[in-house]
Amino acid sequence: MSSVAERLSATGTANALELRGITRLFGALAALTDVTISVRPGERRAVLGSNGAGKTTLFNCITGDFLPTSGTIRFFGEDITSFPPHERIRRGLRRTYQISLLFKGLTVVDNVYLACRGVSRGRFSLLRPRRGDAIRAAAESLVEAVHLTGVRDRLVGELAYGQQRQLEIALALAGAPRFVLFDEPAAGLSPTERSELVEILTALPRHIGYVIIEHDMDVALRVVESVTMMHNGRIFKEGAPQEIEDDPEVQDLYLGGGHG
Amino acid sequence: MSRSLAGWRIALVALAVVLFAWLVLAPWPQGFEAVFGRKKVFLNAVLNGITLGGLYFLVASGFTLIFGLMRNVNLAHGSLYLVGGYVAYETVEATGSWLLSFVAAFLVTAFLGLLLQWFIFRRMEGQDLRQTLVTIGISIVAADVMLWLWGGGFYQIAAPAALGGATQLPLISSVKSNGDTVWLTYPIVRLVIFAASVVLGVAMWLVLNRTRLGMMVRAGVDDRDMLSAIAVRVPILFMLVFAFGAGLAGVAGVVGGTFQSLAPGEDSRFLLVSLIVVIVGGMGSIPGAALGALIIGLAEQLGSVYAPTYAVALTFLIMVAVLAFRPQGLMGRA
Amino acid sequence: MTDIPVPAPAAAAAPSASGLPAWLSAVHPAWWILGFLLLFMPAMAGDFVLVQIFGWSFILGMIALSLMFLGGYGGMVSLAQMTIAALAGYMAAVFGTSSVAEISLGLPWWIAVPIALSIATLFGVVVGALAVRTAGIYTIMITLAISAAFFYFALQNYEIFNGQRGFNGIRAPVAFGVDWRAPVPFYYLTLALAAASYLFVVYVGRAPFGLALQGIRDNARRMAAIGYNVTAHRIAAYAVASFIAGVAGILLTWQNGQISPGTAGIPAVIDILVIAVVGGLGHPIGPFLGALLYALLRTFALDVFSAFGFESTRFNLLVGVAFLVVVLASPDGLVGLWRRWRDRRRPAAKPSGGHR
Repeated sequence: MSSVAERLSATGTANALELRGITRLFGALAALTDVTISVRPGERRAVLGSNGAGKTTLFNCITGDFLPTSGTIRFFGEDITSFPPHERIRRGLRRTYQISLLFKGLTVVDNVYLACRGVSRGRFSLLRPRRGDAIRAAAESLVEAVHLTGVRDRLVGELAYGQQRQLEIALALAGAPRFVLFDEPAAGLSPTERSELVEILTALPRHIGYVIIEHDMDVALRVVESVTMMHNGRIFKEGAPQEIEDDPEVQDLYLGGGHG
Repeated sequence: MSRSLAGWRIALVALAVVLFAWLVLAPWPQGFEAVFGRKKVFLNAVLNGITLGGLYFLVASGFTLIFGLMRNVNLAHGSLYLVGGYVAYETVEATGSWLLSFVAAFLVTAFLGLLLQWFIFRRMEGQDLRQTLVTIGISIVAADVMLWLWGGGFYQIAAPAALGGATQLPLISSVKSNGDTVWLTYPIVRLVIFAASVVLGVAMWLVLNRTRLGMMVRAGVDDRDMLSAIAVRVPILFMLVFAFGAGLAGVAGVVGGTFQSLAPGEDSRFLLVSLIVVIVGGMGSIPGAALGALIIGLAEQLGSVYAPTYAVALTFLIMVAVLAFRPQGLMGRA
Repeated sequence: MTDIPVPAPAAAAAPSASGLPAWLSAVHPAWWILGFLLLFMPAMAGDFVLVQIFGWSFILGMIALSLMFLGGYGGMVSLAQMTIAALAGYMAAVFGTSSVAEISLGLPWWIAVPIALSIATLFGVVVGALAVRTAGIYTIMITLAISAAFFYFALQNYEIFNGQRGFNGIRAPVAFGVDWRAPVPFYYLTLALAAASYLFVVYVGRAPFGLALQGIRDNARRMAAIGYNVTAHRIAAYAVASFIAGVAGILLTWQNGQISPGTAGIPAVIDILVIAVVGGLGHPIGPFLGALLYALLRTFALDVFSAFGFESTRFNLLVGVAFLVVVLASPDGLVGLWRRWRDRRRPAAKPSGGHR
């Protein structure tokens, strides 16, 4: 464990996210092969690729849902390769899930409150939050930020799909995120909901960087400044959105894959 | 690192096997017997442990088969065991045929299994807590009905006279002072039953690994979605497997009723044995059930000879150790 | 496990219309009536009803409540709660006074009881640590196996557990000038402790710890992905539940005056599950409803049974059938039955109303 001073100085210079040679095998099948990616603090990047390209597996390795078979992951300079998920989250990493993983038996505001509490002290507290509790207030304002105030006391299981997706984002923005992984946030949303999503993403403070997996090029390319293309578990191309869009190889692959 | 660790593991296992073989085959030196007791006692405990393991395997393999394929948790498995035993007892009383009692016990319990699958599990697929609760309720009711019908006494199923005696095994029990070798004698019925459970285990393994039916069952264990793709009638397959697993419990009841006894409470005892065996061996694995049954059988018998007070604690410690270091069980997949 | 009946979240306390503080006026009138009834019960009921029906219900209800806390909030159905209660009772006998003078250390109650509770809680933590290594249905199987192991161990161990005979002559102490073994004080003792644990579980359900537990029940993976150490939380839940079960176990030992392996036998272990499930895992009141029903049945069913010409020993058949009917017809128990009835009567009311 590095000292606080080291970590602070590392924060100044290091990349937000630095993956070196990440490989992940499932039995004999390689879901990821030698993936190396660096993302600067505050940088916003899209990861594109057809189904099975390894995008979600990449996210799962970064958040520690499972460990990579080999390779290292650094988060703001700190080696987090073998940290349990909650330790990574407490360091400012966040993610959303492709399929909403929410707490369906709890209300909207309780979901967000849990997320805010999860990255602060008092997770084991046996005392109910008092009136004016800072974390309670943070949860309320986050509910507002994702436009869910109207349903704040509803059980999450009763929400409409689009609302669940918005809540999914709220959970990922709790506390003080430094870097967020968005896994297909626009999947299944209506055009109106999509533009609302773009609004939420572009309204994020500049210092929060993110990586977004998105099939919808219109959404993806409007909210990022760089793009990584993946294919069969490997990095295929990296570049600015326009370069990638104009690249004939990418066009072949992507349009041939039936998405886009 | 892992490779050298595997090397060590193999060396340790080999050492244990050699030591065990020496303990079983060689005559024990004088000083050794003074410390560890007579070799005959040890040999008897080992053989009792192995044969008891055979019985445990019969009960647990049905449980693990049903869980492995259908993810059904049947906590009434112990009740099926006891029903099988009582049915066999009545059959032997009525007809005098021990072999016929196996058939009767298998048929009755398999039929009960069909009813369970049809009326309970089919309607509660995927709801494992409800399944658990319902089968607990069934086992409470079944226990009381059996108490009603057969009372609280002990029953023992009479084995045929041909299996009644003992036989000499090619294992040295002791060497007399005049140099004569004393060979170990052992009850035939236990050996026959053990051989039968081995045959049954091998047969199950062969069916699972060599036939189309087995392929469907294994595919179902590995990947439930695949099953509907290759098996034409999944509900029928499930009913068959459930009936077979339940029938195994009934057969085990005959075996248990022959070389132990039948009484209220044996149902929960054998349910527990099944649970511990599959927790140790690994849920859904037939070889795991065999290994787990052997370990638990040996631990119980050796424990009851060398540390009578703590025989149960020993079984429990084995389970705890497995849970702590390999939560998915010895042969289970993570 | 996805099929555990989910406790409905308490609605935020409604703004008070009268001058009363919000928390006071949020209490439903029915609770006031219940409170008064229970408080003045000794004026209405005899000693037998006080101790054998109500005292016993409160005690069993607390043990079942500890199961409800783990199962309803945390999604972990533990069958070890009766065992943990029995261990606390045993330890109270070993460290305190009993007729078995060669084992009991004879320490005063204010030392023996805390020691017994600590040991029971510690044991619960160990059970939890083992059980949470696997998930879902394995919890039931592992805790059942642990309970059985404890039963057989207590049966065979004479140095600490005094084998089959266990301990007798264990009595509630005389403390603060009150003889707690007398029926009326014992009634109030059990009532106070049951009410305290009930209120504690209700209160914690809305505190960060309880909310996090419900989050883990709904989705453990996501809880890790918002910063929670799921394993630590689950084990902590076992500690809390074991403490409650431990308190109840000591009360049970005082009430019976004895403890033996049968106290934690498989039937007793299953009975606690039956009580909690029949009452309902959906709300902390469920276990107490289930326990009252159980105590009434246990006490009076024999008479009713023989009146109908059945053999009086068929009690387990009745319990088993009743349990089956509840599980098949209303998986969320009496509480769920009541909730559905209420929702049908007030279809316009909020769909996920509170439960004060």
